[in-house]
Amino acid sequence: MSFYEQTIVTKQDLSAPEVEKVESKYADIISGASGKVVKIEKWGLLNFARKIKNYNRGHYIHIKFEGNGKTLEEINKKIKIDNSILRNLIIKYKKLNLEMEYFNKEKTEDEKAK
Amino acid sequence: MKKRNKKFNKRSQNPLNKLSLFQKTDLRFSKKCPLSIKDGPEIDYKNLKLLKRYVTENNKILSSRITSVSSGKQKKLTNEIKKAKILGLL
Repeated sequence: MSFYEQTIVTKQDLSAPEVEKVESKYADIISGASGKVVKIEKWGLLNFARKIKNYNRGHYIHIKFEGNGKTLEEINKKIKIDNSILRNLIIKYKKLNLEMEYFNKEKTEDEKAK
Repeated sequence: MKKRNKKFNKRSQNPLNKLSLFQKTDLRFSKKCPLSIKDGPEIDYKNLKLLKRYVTENNKILSSRITSVSSGKQKKLTNEIKKAKILGLL
């Protein structure tokens, strides 16, 4: 078992419940394939640096999880079919950093005020 | 030629060894790596504030010759910048 971080970029025109559906779908896939979700971060609607498939913005979902090769296979299979996803990135880590949240605006502003 | 130059540099580092007043002293500034400090910033693809400092206006990666980042950290930096570019963050 090792630690992974997955970031999913979905299309801009999804409604809020649809984004939650995508989120819960991938959390279920991970826990279904001998994995374990540690943390889910919602980065919200962000602007792209440049256009991706004619979209200017996208919803970002960040999932930190524990798993093995089978979980990754399962995720990659499902993502290939999924039409609502623009980009996907999975990175292996030795240790997960759960404290720092770079895209949480309220938290970063609080740190500045201190 | 290279060997000779090195010898010359060594001699001229000491200002007392100068042959005349008008001979140039070659001062070399050796900057230290800004990322290898103790408790330095974490290099990560989510840390956009840090990555934007090492990228030009056209999102090209700046060379370590200009930014004086150590070679190990520069390798890590380029990898993280490329990850951020995949996600459309940079």
